[in-house]
Amino acid sequence: MNFELNEEQKEIKRAVREFCEKEFTPELALEFDEKEEFPMALYKKAAKLGFTSMRLPEEYGGQGYGLLEDCIVVEEVCRVDPGLGVAVSLGNLMVPDILLKHGTEEQRKKYIPPLARGEAISAAAFSEPEHGSDITRMDTTAVKSGNEWVVNGSKEFITNAPVADTFIVLCQTDPNATPSHKGQSIFLMEKETPGMEATKLKRKMGIKPCITGSLALSDVKVPKSNLVGELNKGFYYALELFNETRIAVAAQAVGMSQGAFERAFQYAKTRKQFGSPIIKFQGVSFKLADMAIKIEAARMLTRKAAWLFDQGRLDPTATSMAKAFAGRAAMEVTDEAIQVYGGYGYLADYHVERFHRCAKITEIYEGTTEMQKLTIINRLMKTM
Amino acid sequence: MDIIVCVKHVPETAEAEIKIDATGKAIEKTGLVFDINEWDDYALEEAVRIKEKSGGTVTAITVGPEDTDSTLRKCLARGADKAMRLTDPKFQGSDSYAIAKILQSTIKGLSFDLILTGALAGDDGYTMVGPILAELLGIQHATMVKKIEFDDGVAKVNRELEGGLEEKTEVKMPAVLSIQTGINEPRYVSIMGIRKAMKKEIKVLGLADIGLSESEVGETGSWIKVEKIFVPPAEKQAEFIKGSPEEVTTKIAEILKSRGLI
Amino acid sequence: MTEIFVLAEHRQGQIRDITFEMLTKGKELAEKTNTDLTAVLLGKDVKEHAKTISEYAKKVFLVEDAKLENFNSEAYQKVLSNLTKEHKPLLTMIGHTSFGVDLAPSLAAALKLPLATDCIDLAFEGETLVITRQMYGGKVNVKAKVRKSESYIVTVRQAAFAAQKPNISGETMEVSSPLTEETTEKRFIEYVSPPPGGVDITAAEVLVGIGRGIKDESNMPMVEELAKALGGVLACSRPIVDKGWLSTDRQVGSSGKTVKPKLYIALGISGAFQHVLGMKNSDLIIAVNKDSNAPIFSFADYGVVDDLFKIAPALKDKIQELKG
Repeated sequence: MNFELNEEQKEIKRAVREFCEKEFTPELALEFDEKEEFPMALYKKAAKLGFTSMRLPEEYGGQGYGLLEDCIVVEEVCRVDPGLGVAVSLGNLMVPDILLKHGTEEQRKKYIPPLARGEAISAAAFSEPEHGSDITRMDTTAVKSGNEWVVNGSKEFITNAPVADTFIVLCQTDPNATPSHKGQSIFLMEKETPGMEATKLKRKMGIKPCITGSLALSDVKVPKSNLVGELNKGFYYALELFNETRIAVAAQAVGMSQGAFERAFQYAKTRKQFGSPIIKFQGVSFKLADMAIKIEAARMLTRKAAWLFDQGRLDPTATSMAKAFAGRAAMEVTDEAIQVYGGYGYLADYHVERFHRCAKITEIYEGTTEMQKLTIINRLMKTM
Repeated sequence: MDIIVCVKHVPETAEAEIKIDATGKAIEKTGLVFDINEWDDYALEEAVRIKEKSGGTVTAITVGPEDTDSTLRKCLARGADKAMRLTDPKFQGSDSYAIAKILQSTIKGLSFDLILTGALAGDDGYTMVGPILAELLGIQHATMVKKIEFDDGVAKVNRELEGGLEEKTEVKMPAVLSIQTGINEPRYVSIMGIRKAMKKEIKVLGLADIGLSESEVGETGSWIKVEKIFVPPAEKQAEFIKGSPEEVTTKIAEILKSRGLI
Repeated sequence: MTEIFVLAEHRQGQIRDITFEMLTKGKELAEKTNTDLTAVLLGKDVKEHAKTISEYAKKVFLVEDAKLENFNSEAYQKVLSNLTKEHKPLLTMIGHTSFGVDLAPSLAAALKLPLATDCIDLAFEGETLVITRQMYGGKVNVKAKVRKSESYIVTVRQAAFAAQKPNISGETMEVSSPLTEETTEKRFIEYVSPPPGGVDITAAEVLVGIGRGIKDESNMPMVEELAKALGGVLACSRPIVDKGWLSTDRQVGSSGKTVKPKLYIALGISGAFQHVLGMKNSDLIIAVNKDSNAPIFSFADYGVVDDLFKIAPALKDKIQELKG
């Protein structure tokens, strides 16, 4: 058993940390938090250095590492800033992963390299206004017409929708399938296809530089070569993807926790009350110790889940445990960080409130904490 | 062009709080982040740029214990082709003179067209390794270099002088050039670079391998022996203005007003 | 009786201040060690300089040669090697300047004499030279012994010693140049002046000096606005010029300009001596830095230990408010 990162992983951590500490300045973080824009220039810079394509194979312009190395990067970017970090880490989410598993060689060659190089942004349109965590039934339909599919419906809470170039869209292709999820398929779509319209969701609670939007699809004509994998297998493909992204979300949560903790720790060392640094008071120091414990536990769960995945031994229990625990830890740690700062913590200029606002998303997206618990208990029921 | 770059692994102290350790002869190193010396960072970048333009190789060399590998790996990830670490317990206590001797006895056996060093190191600031190394190798040098051009067996360099002035000087090659900061903009380490770097071996040599005697290195082989270090006595101490930004700026405004500055 | 050498430094017809600073310290050391103070002047047509310097030293060795017109470490080293071998001075003092750092290390290595660089204080304890210098960008001082030798070489930090004119009228002794053939391996070509910028910071009454603490180029407008509100201009320490955020003509310090404004606000400047050298004589210095131990607070009149990103915008607002 080895709980340490190897030398290569340490180098990766150092490189991404150096990049983020120089590029993700506190002022830039505040600016993007306020204007709710995708940090495109920053994203392209990070992509050029390989930070956004850790898990993609080298033959498609990626770095050829595993999910564990990706998690190291995700943790670091979110540690320096949760908003910019999430935005940068999700620029090419899901599309390369699904194409690598189920796409044709032609689809892979066309879509993955620009995403790996940071020249294109991707979005995965699964959730619908009426169906968030429950994707067993889609109101968005795709109907075959000659060599094309005609797609109608609407999608909600889609990360990157307003800035994405390449989309995957989950549609009901067989309305009569029972259960309904056996009649779903995934299609590739390119931006500006007639009938597609993305709208930016504004005034989110956190991760504001990561743009979320809704997607309206009205009579969108999709060539049949854009079907990903087999017809009516879309639901299963989507579930598979969540297994990977959930671990990355846990890494986001760990990074956010670590960033808020380090800020609070430094503050506690320098802030003086009643003539001594507040870290000398147990009310503060015990809080910091508790924060450190939670972060380390969350990190270990996350790394274990990633490691299992990289070993080809994907374990949904481990994944769900990591996401549920790391998400809750992030909420608690960032909350306590504000408490350590006292009144200043409540001000945007002191940054920790932003960490707290951003942390909440990790308990919601890619399967809420409740969904994770459901997974855990269902699997325990089967095995115990 | 085959270029050797001498680099040093130093603690980042520009923005860190420094404490003196129990011996009174060094600073407390725990908690400090070590990285490539800032001047060497520019030297490495310059070497890699020259290589990218005109071909050849870049070899990074350092003197230090095993943990200096992270600086060498950074050099490899940023474009160096080879890396060497000169490590021996006997090297401990070496000042810049002893370090220059260690470097010279290693480098004399290598083939090179140019040697780059940082003008100084951010920790001890001796500002002497480059020219001593040159003298020991019997070649020319230039320090405080801010620009390099090559021309038929010579390097034409701009050296930084005081007061914003520079001088252009021509140096016969091979030469040792000590690089001043600002000569270029060092690149970030990329993941592609790390991938390449991890496949490369760091060659490690000790005292016996480089053919120096024990008395030539470490404290006995050095010119300078640190007796004690201490916090500089303040010439004067600023009057500290405390409080919230509002309180602080109100006080500053009062001071400026009283002096007729606003 | 042996002697203490001070290498005179001059450029473009001017004797540089470091020369007089070293001669002053050299005189003190000579008295304490019962040795003679000798200035060593190398150049071409520098008899006037010899005359000026002879008012500070008992003896001036004057070596004139066309090859010594401009500083060249190769030529200087040959001349100084000969003089050192012949006279075996107890100590040779050279400025820790761009010239000095190009010359002293290779000279010391060639003569196998111990060298201590960037000294801010020097003393002899018996026959051992004990020096004080700084480390970690001026955050700590080091007291160190130099390996025992008949003869030592040091480089001396600029402005470490105040120059005082003694009442001496020394004797100039011309020494013939040992440079026989043209130096071939190193050649001075020309001086290169920085391109003239739009702003003369030496003429400004208010300067807002920025350093490494500014972190990112995107923060420049914020400090520019502060400078504007104060009716001043931006100046900076070296890292800012290195990054290309301001041009060289804005740099304050030993490798930049020396300024003496009525107000100097130092934002995120730690206070390395190279910078301090250029601004410490300002009428009023206010420093903002996160590190309460930053050396800048030893030179500032007022200090604020806080984040400059909070103080600078607040100060700008405050001043605009007062100005109406």
